[in-house]
Amino acid sequence: MSEKPLVSLTIEGVEVSVPQGTLLIEAAKQAGVVIPHYCYHPGLPVAGVCRMCLVEIEGMPKLQIACATQVAQGQVVKVMSEQALAARRSVLEFLLINHPLDCPICDQAGECELQDYVFQEGRPRTRYTPAYPKRFSPVEDFGGDVLYVPNRCILCTRCVRFMDHVAQDSILNVSERGDRAYIGIHPGRKLDHPWAGNVVDLCPVGSLLSKDFLHKARAWELDKTASICTGCSQGCNVNLDTRHNAVVRIRPRPNLEVNQYFICDYGRFNYRWMNRGDRIEAPLVKDREGLAATDWDTALERAAQILKGADGKAVALVSPKVSTEALFLARRLLGRFEWSGYFRLERVDGEIPLPGVPNLALRSERAPNGTGARLLGYGEDTEGAVPALRQAAVVLVLDDPLDWLSADSLSEVENLIYLGTVLPPAARGARVVLPIANVAEEDGTFVNRDGRVQRYFQAKPAPGMARPAWWVLGQLMEETGAGEAVLSAAQAFELLAAAEPAFSGLSYERLGLKGALINAPERVEVSR
Amino acid sequence: MAIGVKVVKRPEREVSYLRATLQGMALTFSHLFRRKVTMEYPEEKSTPEWTISPRWRGTHRMLTDEQGRAKCVACGLCPQICPANCIKLVPGEDEEGHRYPLIYEIDEFRCIFCGYCQEVCPEEAIHVGVHYENSEFERGRFVYDLERLCAQTHPVSTLWDPSDPKGE
Repeated sequence: MSEKPLVSLTIEGVEVSVPQGTLLIEAAKQAGVVIPHYCYHPGLPVAGVCRMCLVEIEGMPKLQIACATQVAQGQVVKVMSEQALAARRSVLEFLLINHPLDCPICDQAGECELQDYVFQEGRPRTRYTPAYPKRFSPVEDFGGDVLYVPNRCILCTRCVRFMDHVAQDSILNVSERGDRAYIGIHPGRKLDHPWAGNVVDLCPVGSLLSKDFLHKARAWELDKTASICTGCSQGCNVNLDTRHNAVVRIRPRPNLEVNQYFICDYGRFNYRWMNRGDRIEAPLVKDREGLAATDWDTALERAAQILKGADGKAVALVSPKVSTEALFLARRLLGRFEWSGYFRLERVDGEIPLPGVPNLALRSERAPNGTGARLLGYGEDTEGAVPALRQAAVVLVLDDPLDWLSADSLSEVENLIYLGTVLPPAARGARVVLPIANVAEEDGTFVNRDGRVQRYFQAKPAPGMARPAWWVLGQLMEETGAGEAVLSAAQAFELLAAAEPAFSGLSYERLGLKGALINAPERVEVSR
Repeated sequence: MAIGVKVVKRPEREVSYLRATLQGMALTFSHLFRRKVTMEYPEEKSTPEWTISPRWRGTHRMLTDEQGRAKCVACGLCPQICPANCIKLVPGEDEEGHRYPLIYEIDEFRCIFCGYCQEVCPEEAIHVGVHYENSEFERGRFVYDLERLCAQTHPVSTLWDPSDPKGE
């Protein structure tokens, strides 16, 4: 970090010291004052077009826009002074001249900055007569996932600047001038850039809408849970928005170290599987007629019997989409055996970078925890897994769909224990099937391609009797005498941190919401 | 052991019930000539002395536009404000791109008739009605769907007296 000299200034009576060159609007955030703004966004270049962030600075003859003014030593800034408030009220009045009063049907209502600021400091009534016909333009389909509602647009140009400077595919512009201005799209082009979905999040009003989310839920009905995108090995920070215990959309969660403010469209729409209805809801054990549902005690006891009765080699087939904790506990559970672990990763040729952000792309490795699996000694050698399966006394599967194995390679396996969210046909030969929670239903961590350990949180309850994998594996450890039961994901991570040098010193508290790097990044085999 | 029993002689005039009966009859007959306070419900539903208040909050009614469609735009405010959680709403979009309720159901058993849904509605679509006769043969019929709510014809509540909005 470059050491810039600090500058002290007073904002609304609060004294703050910030590095030289900081913008006033950012300095105000540190003083605990949010200056209303539309065009300013920390992830985009400054435009200064909305005039919403006007503030009074002592000694300056006119009001200044906080988003394009740098801090200076001894500045005294008044955000809520009579003059600043009057100016902002006028800006809001201009914005509302043609803005439709359609909040009841607008998807943005409840998270709309225009709505918020008008309630906060706007004029309560229009000065136009009720007879004034508001400007009307029909809804335009921008292609991809984006709808444009010109009536609601306040021309902050965030979307234009995102496409110009961040996605670097300049297909949006401001067409026409003055009160006829609107956001135009390059003729013949569609807004189908793989990262274009971000313009919907950037839009401060309901002008750019996601077709996927259209009319699906109101903003105030959503519960937001911090999570990690499971789309690729980048590990973008996201929020899962849930309603009635179903994930209805994914939005980026700012993390300057990983994804800044953005996620790709692939990750954005990669949530439907989290709500799938064909989940395993009860533990199953094999009897003469096949798999039969039972309770946890019976199923765990049966699984422990199998593990205790077997000897020799054990194979773990894991999914790179399960938590690091589960990967670690699975390994510890099989510690008594001559152990080998494998995982299969879906790979797609080529990465899809977001040019404006360094080291951010939709990676070719389409699973969130490949790095975690490699760190814990699992191999990606799927060829080697087949002969290993033949010799294995016990095979433990952790949510792997098993679709990459030929049918006969599993048929010879006698002791198959399957922990999974769904029951693929290949797993029907298992002696015990234990239902586990998916990423939206448990706490855990993933390790991204740069060796950053990041937490995700439980967003909704698991279906039926399904339990988090760390709980199931902990119970099995207790039953087989391989260790003690694990009572929380945090405790599972403690065990991991104690056993693995790469994770030592880390804890859930230290990871927080932003994650932390593992200790030995050079150990991580990064496949680029 | 003998118990001492005291025999009390009843006063002569109270031995006969005739006197009390006649007193009662006299009272009854005197009521024949007083002003009537009852009403012959259900033949008669209001009298000059008693009419149902225009602010009565009864079972709901959904108002419709000129084309007969529900005015509701499925904004979701009534299920949000409803303290009894009795409104089920699933929004959808019609061919012209208008937002409208795919499912709109009110469980009238669960409803506490507070009138908040009417008060919060930005489109003046859902109303509580000036209506109190709601008998049905099945419990399930008390979940009013959109069609039923639109088909109601009873007057809607004014919720408050326009000339005295604060109720003073």
